[in-house]
Amino acid sequence: MAVRPVLALPDPFLQRPSAKVGTVDTDALALAADLLDTMRAREACVGLAAPQIGVGLRAFAIDVTGHRKARSCAGELVLFDPELLSGEEPVIGREGCLSIPDLTGDVARATRVVVRGIGIDGSERVVEADAFEARALLHELDHLDGFLFLDRVTSAHSVYRRKVYR
Amino acid sequence: MTHFAVTAVGSDRPGIVAAVTGAFAEHGCNLEDSSMTILRGQFAMMLVVDAPAGVGAGDLEEALAGPAADLDLVVTVRPAPLPAPAGDPDDAAASWTVSVYGADHPGIVHGMASLLAARSVNIVDLSTRMVGTADSPVYTMVLEVTLPIGVNPHDLEADLATKAAELGVTCRLHPSEADIL
Repeated sequence: MAVRPVLALPDPFLQRPSAKVGTVDTDALALAADLLDTMRAREACVGLAAPQIGVGLRAFAIDVTGHRKARSCAGELVLFDPELLSGEEPVIGREGCLSIPDLTGDVARATRVVVRGIGIDGSERVVEADAFEARALLHELDHLDGFLFLDRVTSAHSVYRRKVYR
Repeated sequence: MTHFAVTAVGSDRPGIVAAVTGAFAEHGCNLEDSSMTILRGQFAMMLVVDAPAGVGAGDLEEALAGPAADLDLVVTVRPAPLPAPAGDPDDAAASWTVSVYGADHPGIVHGMASLLAARSVNIVDLSTRMVGTADSPVYTMVLEVTLPIGVNPHDLEADLATKAAELGVTCRLHPSEADIL
C-alpha cells in the first residue's frame, strides 16, 4: 500500500491499452490499495486508473462521494476488468485529469451508464450510474484503452489552460 | 530564445496554415500557443512562436512575405516577452463563462465589456457569431472571464443582466471550472 507517482503527458504509457487482470489475487488487491491511496492523496481527485500509476492492467478506483454534481454514488469503488454495457444521454462537461495537469477540455459523455466489472471481493459487480459518477466511470474506462480526454474534446476550441482546481 | 506574437489574416482557402508554419519551420521557430479560426470567410491566425537566438522580427517578416503575397494575407510580427509564471493554479482567480445573445445591433460587446472592465474582470477568451437573417440578425457572444477576489459572482450576474436588458439582450453567468477525474 503506497501513494504512487502519477504519470503525466507525454509519457507514452498513458496511450497504451491495458491487459486484463483476470483473477483478483494478492497482486490485484495491492494494486487496488495503491489506486485508492494515490487517489486519496490528491485533493479533489475522484478517480484514478492503473495506467496512470504505471500499471498496464485494467483496473481503476473512483469515489464521487460528496461531489456537488454527483447523483448516483456507489461510494468507494474499485473495478477490475470493467466493461461498458450501455451509455446514454450524452452531455458536454469540462474535465481535467491528473495526467494532463495544465489543461482542461469539454467532452461529451453519456450521463447514464451501466458498467460491469469484478470487485475487490472477486465477484461480479454491475454498477448503474448517472450524472457525474457516469462521467468519472467513462473517463477511467478510457484510460484502460489508452485514451485521454484530449482524444474526446468536442472542438478545436474546447481545450483550455487549467486555472482552478475544484 | 525570443518569443514573437504573429497574426495573419486573409480570405480562407486550403494551405494557409501549411504555408505560414513552413516559414517558421525554416527558421527553427517553435510554435507555442495559437488560435486560428474562420471569421465570416476570413481565416485569422494568432500565434506565439519561440525563435532561436539571432532570429528577429525582421527575419520572420521576410520569411512570411512569400506566403503573404501568394495567399493575400496581412501579417504582423512583434516581440512578445512571456509573462512571469502564473504560480500555483490553486491561487488563480475563478473562471466563469458569460453568454450573451439577442437581436443584433452595434454596441453589445462594448456595453458588456465596459461593465466588466469597470469591475476589473479580465476577459481571457471571447468569441462572437452573427447569425439569423438579414431582416432579423441574431448576435451571440461567449466570454470566459476571471473574477478578481472581492467580486461576487451573483452581484456581477445581476449587474450584467441589468446592462443586458438595457441593450435588449440576455446575459447569463456560470462557473467554468473543470472537474478533475
